[in-house]
Amino acid sequence: MKIEKNKKAIVPLSKRERKRYILFEVLNGEVAEKDFYFGFWIELLSFFGSKGLAEINPKIVLFKSNKAIIKCKRGKELDLIAGTAFIEKIKNKKIIINPILTSGTVKTLKEHAKI
Amino acid sequence: MDIVYTQPLKELLQVSTYFNEQLVVLVTNEKDEKVAKTNSLLPCYLISESTPENELQKLSSKTRAVLGGSVKANELAVRIKADYLLQPSGDKQFFDLGLAQKLAANGTIVVLMFEELLKANSFERHQYWKNYLELVRYCKQKNTKFIVASGTKDPLLLRPPKVREALAVLLGLPAEKAREYLNETIKVK
Repeated sequence: MKIEKNKKAIVPLSKRERKRYILFEVLNGEVAEKDFYFGFWIELLSFFGSKGLAEINPKIVLFKSNKAIIKCKRGKELDLIAGTAFIEKIKNKKIIINPILTSGTVKTLKEHAKI
Repeated sequence: MDIVYTQPLKELLQVSTYFNEQLVVLVTNEKDEKVAKTNSLLPCYLISESTPENELQKLSSKTRAVLGGSVKANELAVRIKADYLLQPSGDKQFFDLGLAQKLAANGTIVVLMFEELLKANSFERHQYWKNYLELVRYCKQKNTKFIVASGTKDPLLLRPPKVREALAVLLGLPAEKAREYLNETIKVK
């Protein structure tokens, strides 16, 4: 049997869902990317629930030298920023997550953070 | 502007300087007030229902914050025209439209101490959130000032102003108002 590969239809740019990128910094010590990902996800899920989190649709785009760029739906930036207030500890280490900048492109944030 | 408890001042100051905002420290006696002033922090006397009447009269010229959480305590804040009313509601609602109007007339700022919400378990947290959604709705109707403060002793539980602003917006306050109330400069009495 021959398996045919279906080519994914390309959604035009104008019809794609709008998104925002937020640059966060983690204060108080080094945190591994895996631990950050886990801690971030657990706290947001417990606060917003599955439905709320799906509406925000956050994705960690980049995590480098204690700075993270997180993607979310446009208009849900404040929800995401507010949700990070509940992240108290990562791997039993107390941290503060500080939002620095919100932008429509990753490039701007990368330039700002120098990462 | 952020509101915190007294200890340890140096670390609190370090973090708040990083966030570039004024720190109001809740004090209970003159010694703590002096320490706060020497650390260039803004002292504010913490008053509760149990504070005796003669003490209240002594503190009438100072910046005062009333720890709410009961009908009596919330009324005390109105009676003494306190500058801040902390935690007017907990997992039970003690705030109404009438109180919001009186507080607005006095210029009292209603404060949600974020650490209490953070430390609550998931059931209590949902009660807190429900009560504060209602509280913010009343504040919005009567133009009562409302802010979210860190309300902590631990410097690592201080939350950045942007985050607290976002929390206030999430509770239903318009973004401009949330920013305006948080950036208000405090007069030291």
